[in-house]
This record gives sequence, structure tokens and C-alpha cells, in this order.
Amino acid sequence: MHQYVFVVIGVLMAIAAVRLVTTKNVVHGALYLLMVLAGAAAIFILLLAEFVGWVQVLLYIGAVVVLLLFGLMLTRAPIGRTALDNQSRALAALVAGAIFAMTSMVLVRAFDGQMIDFSQTLTVRTLGGVLFTKYVLPFEVVSVLLLAALVGAVVLAKRDE
Amino acid sequence: MTLVQGAREFVAPGVDLVALAPELILVAVISGVLLIDLMLPQDKKGLMMPVSALGLLAALGATLFLVGDVRITLSGMFVVDSFAVLFKVIFLLAALLTLALSHDYLKDDEIHHGEYYFLLLCSLLGMMTIASSRDLVAIFVSLELISLPSFVLVGLRKRDLKSNEAALKFFLFGVLSTAIMLFGMSLVYGVTGQTSLVGIASSLTQFPPLREVAILSILFILVGFGFKISAFPFQWWVPDTYEGAPVPIAAFLSVASKTAGFVGLLQILFIGFLGLADIWRPFLAAVAVLTMTFGNLVAIQQKHIIRLLAYSSIGQAGYILIPLAVVGVGTPELNAIAFQASIVYLLIYAFMETGAFACAIAYGRRGGGYFVSDYAGLSARSPGLAIAMTMFLFSLAGIPPLAGWAAKFFVFRALIDGGAYWLAAIMAINTVIALFYYAAVPRQMVFAAPTETRRIEIPWMLSSAIALSAIVVVLIGILPDIFGALARAAAGG
Amino acid sequence: MTAFVVVSVIKVFVVFGAVLGTVLFTIWLERKIVARMQSRYGPNRWGPFGLFTSLADGVKLFFKEQVSPRGIDKAAYVAAPVLALIPAFLAFAVIPFGEHVTLFGQTVTLEVTDLNVGLLWVIAMGSLAVYGVVLAGWASGSKYPLLGGIRSSAQMISYEIALSLSLVPVVVWAGTLSLREIVEAQIGTFGTIGWLPGPVQWIGHLIPKWYVVFQLPAFLLFMAAGVAETNRAPFDLPEAETELVAGYHTEYSGIKFAMFFLAEYVHIITISAVAVIMFLGGWDGPHLPFLPWMWPLMNFMGKTFTLVFLFIWLRATLPRIRYDKLMVLGWKGLIPMALGWLVVSATILTVKDAYFG
Repeated sequence: MHQYVFVVIGVLMAIAAVRLVTTKNVVHGALYLLMVLAGAAAIFILLLAEFVGWVQVLLYIGAVVVLLLFGLMLTRAPIGRTALDNQSRALAALVAGAIFAMTSMVLVRAFDGQMIDFSQTLTVRTLGGVLFTKYVLPFEVVSVLLLAALVGAVVLAKRDE
Repeated sequence: MTLVQGAREFVAPGVDLVALAPELILVAVISGVLLIDLMLPQDKKGLMMPVSALGLLAALGATLFLVGDVRITLSGMFVVDSFAVLFKVIFLLAALLTLALSHDYLKDDEIHHGEYYFLLLCSLLGMMTIASSRDLVAIFVSLELISLPSFVLVGLRKRDLKSNEAALKFFLFGVLSTAIMLFGMSLVYGVTGQTSLVGIASSLTQFPPLREVAILSILFILVGFGFKISAFPFQWWVPDTYEGAPVPIAAFLSVASKTAGFVGLLQILFIGFLGLADIWRPFLAAVAVLTMTFGNLVAIQQKHIIRLLAYSSIGQAGYILIPLAVVGVGTPELNAIAFQASIVYLLIYAFMETGAFACAIAYGRRGGGYFVSDYAGLSARSPGLAIAMTMFLFSLAGIPPLAGWAAKFFVFRALIDGGAYWLAAIMAINTVIALFYYAAVPRQMVFAAPTETRRIEIPWMLSSAIALSAIVVVLIGILPDIFGALARAAAGG
Repeated sequence: MTAFVVVSVIKVFVVFGAVLGTVLFTIWLERKIVARMQSRYGPNRWGPFGLFTSLADGVKLFFKEQVSPRGIDKAAYVAAPVLALIPAFLAFAVIPFGEHVTLFGQTVTLEVTDLNVGLLWVIAMGSLAVYGVVLAGWASGSKYPLLGGIRSSAQMISYEIALSLSLVPVVVWAGTLSLREIVEAQIGTFGTIGWLPGPVQWIGHLIPKWYVVFQLPAFLLFMAAGVAETNRAPFDLPEAETELVAGYHTEYSGIKFAMFFLAEYVHIITISAVAVIMFLGGWDGPHLPFLPWMWPLMNFMGKTFTLVFLFIWLRATLPRIRYDKLMVLGWKGLIPMALGWLVVSATILTVKDAYFG
């Protein structure tokens, strides 16, 4: 059961990801990104990490992509089709394809036939516990990082008087 | 059960506040800077710099208090040992020097003081934590904390198109390489189920079939660090970014930020992935050779002093990287020598590069300009500045008896001990090539006729930064074993 | 297993139908109340008191010609109303509106599913609501919808933060994200309050253990942010007809317009229901001896409609506020207040647990 659902999600994500980089319309690109992120959330939920999955929906789909669209609209985002192209497309595709082939080959060889253990689920309580004990250093560093990002964004966007 | 009842069962991690003191002081200073900036009137913003500097001195004191200690806290993620302390001191000194370079620069430019110092200190905090991080998550997050404020700092001259371009290029390169690195880290976590470097090292020896994935992941991780230390082929952003950024920030990026990248890289390679040394060694050798050759060859054609220093810093990254090309799995003595060589080079590089940037700022801001041709006849106008500049450039080139020579000596010794004669030969050729462009500036200063005769006044803060760097460069040139001993202590940890 | 599937499917349809019916009723209610407040009669032609007017409107919109202007982005234009409506309905999947009933030997809990991160689900679905608005504004290819879309995305993102933050103290208090468990924690009264002087100790029996008692500021913050999040007056700037014609749905007609319209009312009901669950004790309330399964449902509906009435009352009373004031209120008012209250309420909770058991 899990495998089939995973395959469906994975194929959808792959299609959306390919369309994301090939589409010529920025807003459509953002919508394909949305699909990829939704797929990632679905995979989290499939792995019984409900909390992470819904947070993914809440933050990435509900906030990040919305802000992206918002930014596109505030800056002169084209309505309809526009040329958004790059000469090095073929080269980039080649490199990406090669890396993909190599990575998937290695990963399949390493993990082929292994099963995921679904006996334990991740509760919010354990997640919170781990975050505030083992990973408290990264957590605190991230909070400074977010503060810096906030201040940085404001200082760049603010109009000088 | 309410969360508070849950919180009673919660066992707080043992926190060694003494070990964390430098970082905690820095966090306090960061918050303080942000708040003080709110309250200061526009014409008093110059006070931000002494406030930050005092905070840094306090953090430096707390760091020096930890010398010789070994402390492990926060479930093994945060380690204070000689290595960490040494680099924290270097980062703090580099930041203090950057503050000294910034003070007068900001006066002339329309940059928001409060945010400038705030972001600079945030970036510094990331460097401090990366020196102590022994965990992939912590290293990654610290690296992000170093990068993100620098993206903004580079773009702070908002009205200057070059600055915008610089920030954008820096940002795009940074984000892409970080994403690749994070993917690599996720692979190694997937294989080992560990994020701590020690845990990864032991898992890698236990499960050889998963080596392939680990190899892939270390290659991806190298991409991220390649960007940070501006190694070939991830160095394209460097010249444009340095040129467009506020010059003190360019100095900060080329010294502190690059050193932080090396610190993270050294920890990952020597603690986590030493078992795979046979795999990454040839890659690093190739990258190091390409980096130094590319940097030095392109630097020859540069007309702009900041771009010249940018390419030179790419070349220098190659020299710092190349000792790692002799590291092996079963050769601890050789590994220690290589490790030391890199560290000594990093320490010396920090001072000579800062000094060179300081001289460029001192001359550039006082009406001189940033092109090499502008340096015509500087020796007549300001002999002191000319001598200092010449000294730093010759040191970068590796001319005895300056510190740069000692740095190169350590590297050569590591290469010869490791039997990598051909690498030593390539490095020697590179050193000769580099002499061309390093000598070009002094040649202008001495042999070209000055276009102006006005004397150059250098603010005291800038001149003391230059003097400090110059003293270190001369002193270490004569007594290289001071840094050698420090590096030995760090390697022992 | 089969029984579970059948029950679930039935529940989905029942809830969907019930929500749809409630929405139609709410639309009628709003027109009627607003009319009364403005000394008019309101709809009174179709059905008793004009009760079927909404239904008739729906049928009319369904069969109306759909005008799509030139210059639209076809895919996004069609997707937008659907994207507005679906998350609105989905949010209802985790809302518990009663205890449980036993039908034909099956114990049926009165909600579609009890997710143990139910609250997160509701917030996540709420955050998806903005897509309909943003895409509608962009895809219409015309300036008023675009302005409306930009305004509303900014507004909804801003107020979503305050909305979510105002719920955090309740989660801290209850120690769970499951909506059912949050309601169960509020059932009953305080009982005899030992530290009060003897004669008035009984007063505790009259005070329900609803979170609104201790979390009144959070409740007020939630309602304020909720009004903005649903784009209702006085915060209905995305569709401010005096400035933007009709905002993001200017270029929509027929069934597509009806979808936006429905979504807005579903959101009102969702926000009211969530407020009832989080602060007003859910289905807790008076139980009379006859028809035992009905009272929780009645309590829940009664409380929800009280809050819906509040929404309508606000619309009839308050004038629309200026856009920049709206943003100032959100960022400099509600968000800091929500954060401050979180700190205060966590402190109270710790002290209470430490000294009063």
C-alpha cells in the first residue's frame, strides 16, 4: 500500500518538478513548486510524521509560496506568457541528469530491498523534546539566523529617506 | 497532562555556561546593538562601532579564559578545545580589524550603521559556533548564519548597481551550493542515522557497503564548502562580489568568512570522513591545483586592486587546501603535519590579507582610487602606506622573511613529507606566477610618476589596524614557530 | 474495517451537507439581520421569512452564463475558485461537534476524523485559503482584481500569524493539538473553590472550565484576527467595492463567483467553530434528561451561531478601516499582543501548577 501511494506521489512530484524548470510563466512555475512541496508534505505524512507534514503545508505552501506569488505581483510579474529563458539550459539539463543518474544508482544499490520500520510514530512531544535537548544549539543558532534575515530583509527593502 | 507537567519530566540538557560564554556575550552584544540603534539619534550612529568593539573585546576575554580547557556540552554538539579556541580568537580579531576598517568607511558612505554592525556580528556568531560544532546540523546552521547576513552586507550600498549585482551573484551561488551541501548531509544522515561527526566516523567503519553513499555525500558537501572557501569551480562570484561590496565587507569575506569555511571543512574531513580520505584526497588535490592556478593566472590581468586581491585570495585558498591532498587513512603523523600546515597558512593569511585590504581602503577612500594605475608614485606621497602595502603583497607572494614565506614553507614541508612532489612543483610554479601581479602594485608605487602630490592622511583606527597586521606579518616571518606551536596544539585537540 | 469505511463515507457526506446547509442559512441570516439593523425587511419572498432565498440564489448562479474575459490565464482562472472552496470545506474534517452517538451498534464520533494534530490541520487549511484569492486576482488579468489580490494576500498572511499565535496559549494550557482532547479538557465547572471565603465557595459551580475564563485576551485576539482572516467587514479591504469594484472576484460570474461566496461563509463558520472549540468548551453545556445525544450538538450549534451573529453584527455596525491602519493593527498591535500574552499565560500556568497544584 505504502509503496503504491509513494510511487503515485513521487511521479506527480517529478512531473511537477520538471514542469517547474521548463515552464515559461513565472506564476505557473510557482504553482508547480507548490505541487512539489505538497508532494513532500504528503510523503512526510506517509512516513507517519504528521506534525512535520502539516507544518510543511502550513509554512511552505501556506506562507513561502504565497509570499513568492505576492512578490511576483508586486514586482512587474508578467501576466500571460513571457520569455524567461537561459542559453545554458541544455548544459544544465545534462549536468542535472548526470547527477541524478549517479545519485539514484548509488542510492538504489545502497538501500535496495530495505523496509522502513513503521512501528514507531513521531509524536509532537518527542519532537519537541529532541529539539530542546539534543538539538538545542542549532535551534538557538537558527533563531539568531531568522532575526538576521528579518533585519536584513527590512534594511534592503526599506526606502531611504 | 498540561505541557507544564510535561516540562517537569523534561530533563534539561546540561549546559556548560562557561564554555558557551563567548557566544552568549556575543548574543547579548547583538541584541544590544539592535536596541541601541533604535534609540540613538541619526548623528550619533558613529557610537555603534565602539559599542560593538567593546562587546567583541568582552567576548575575546571570555574566549581567552578558555585557553587550554577541553569542555564538551550540549550533548556533545558543542566542543571547546584548542582548535576551537584558536579559531575563535582569530575570528574575533578579524572582526575587530573589520570594525576598525569600517568606522571611517561608513562615515563616507550612506550605509545604515546599526544594521551594518548587527549583521556583521551575526555573521561572526556563526563563525564562533562553527568552530565548536561537532555535528552536521550545527555546522550547517552555523554556515547559514555566516552566509545570510553577508548576502545583505554585500548589498548594503543599495544605490550602487555594482553592489546590487554583487549581492545577487553571491546570494544565488550561495543558495545553490548550500542546497547541494544540505542534500549531501541528508544522504549521510540517511546512511548512518547520525548527525554527530564522531558518530558518522564510527558508522562509516562499521558498515562498508554504505560507503558509496557516503562518498557521494562528501562530494556534495565539498560543493558547499567549495563555495565558502572560493575553490575552483565555485569561485565565480568572488571578484564581482568583492568589487561591489563595501570594501571592509570584502575584507571580512575574504578573511573571516573564508577561514570559517575552512574550519568547518577541516572538522568534517578530519573528524567525520577521515575514513574516506583515499576517496576525497585526489578530488581535493585537483581542486586545490585548479584553484591556485586559476586564481593566479586571472589575477595577472586585473587592473582593479580589489579584484586583484579577490583573485589572489582564490589563489591563496588553493595553497591552504593543498596540504589536505596528502592526508591518508593510516598515517596519523602525516595527517597532523598537513592539518598544521593548513592551520598555519590560515592564521598567517588572515593577517596579511586584512593588512592588504586595510591599505587599499586607506588609499582608496582618501581620494586615491581603487585601480592599480592610481597607485602611481605612492611611495613619494605616503612612504609609510607604500611600505606597508608592499610588505603585505610580498608576504602574500611568499617572499622571505615575511610571514607568507613561513606559511608556504609549512605547506611545502607537508607536501614533501607526503611524497607529493609534483604538487609541490605545481605550487612552486604558481608562486612564481603570483609574483608577477603582486609585484605590479609596488612597481607602480615606486617607479611611476605621481599624478598628485597631496599627502594622504590615514585615520588612526585604520593605521593601527595596518600596524597590527604589519607587526604580525613581520614577527611571524621571523619566528614562524609561534603559529606553528599554536597549530600543533590545535591539531592535538 | 468495512464498517469503518462506510461510516467514514457517510460522515463525510453528512458533514459536507450540513456545512453547505449551514452556509445557506448563514447567508440568509446575514441578509435578514443586516436588513433589520438598517430598518429594512430583507429577503421575504421565497419560503417562510424568505428562508429559501439563498437556495434560489444558488440555483440562479448555477445556471447563469459564465463570462470569462479575454486576457485571463485560463488554468489559474478556473483553478482559483476551486482552490478557495476546497480547503474551506476540508478544514471542517477535524472539527468535533459532539461527543459520540451509538447508531445500529456502531459508536460514531461526531467528527470526520480525529487527527492528533487537528489544530494544525485547521490552521494549515486556513493558510491555503489565500491561494484562491491570490490566483483569482492574478489570473483575471485586470487591475482591480490584481490590487484586491495583492491586498488580501498581504492581509491574510499578516493576520494568519496573529491568528495562530493567539491559539498557542490554549495549546500550551491543554497540552495537546487534538481538538477533541482540547474540548474534553474544558468540560465541567471549577467546582468548589477552596481559597475563596466560605460562603461564596459554591460560585465555582457556576463557572464552566472553559478556556475563555483564563484566556480571555487570547479569545479576543483570535476573534479580531479571525474577522480579518475571513476578509469580513470592517476588514473587508480585498473586495472594498468603493475602491476596487469588487476586488479579486470582479471578473468572476456564475458558479465560479458562487464558489468564492460560499468559501467566505464557510470560513466564517470555521472560525466560529474553532473559537467555540478552543475557548468556549465545544459541546459542553446544559444537558436535559430527554434526547441525550441532541444536547451536545445543540450546545455546539448554539455557541457557533452566537459567534456567527457577532460577525454579522460587526459588519452592520463598523465602517471599513483604511488599509495602512489595518496593517499597523496587525503587525504592531495583534502580533506583539499575542506574543506578550503567550509569555504571560505560560507564566501564569507555571505558577498555577507550582503553587496551586
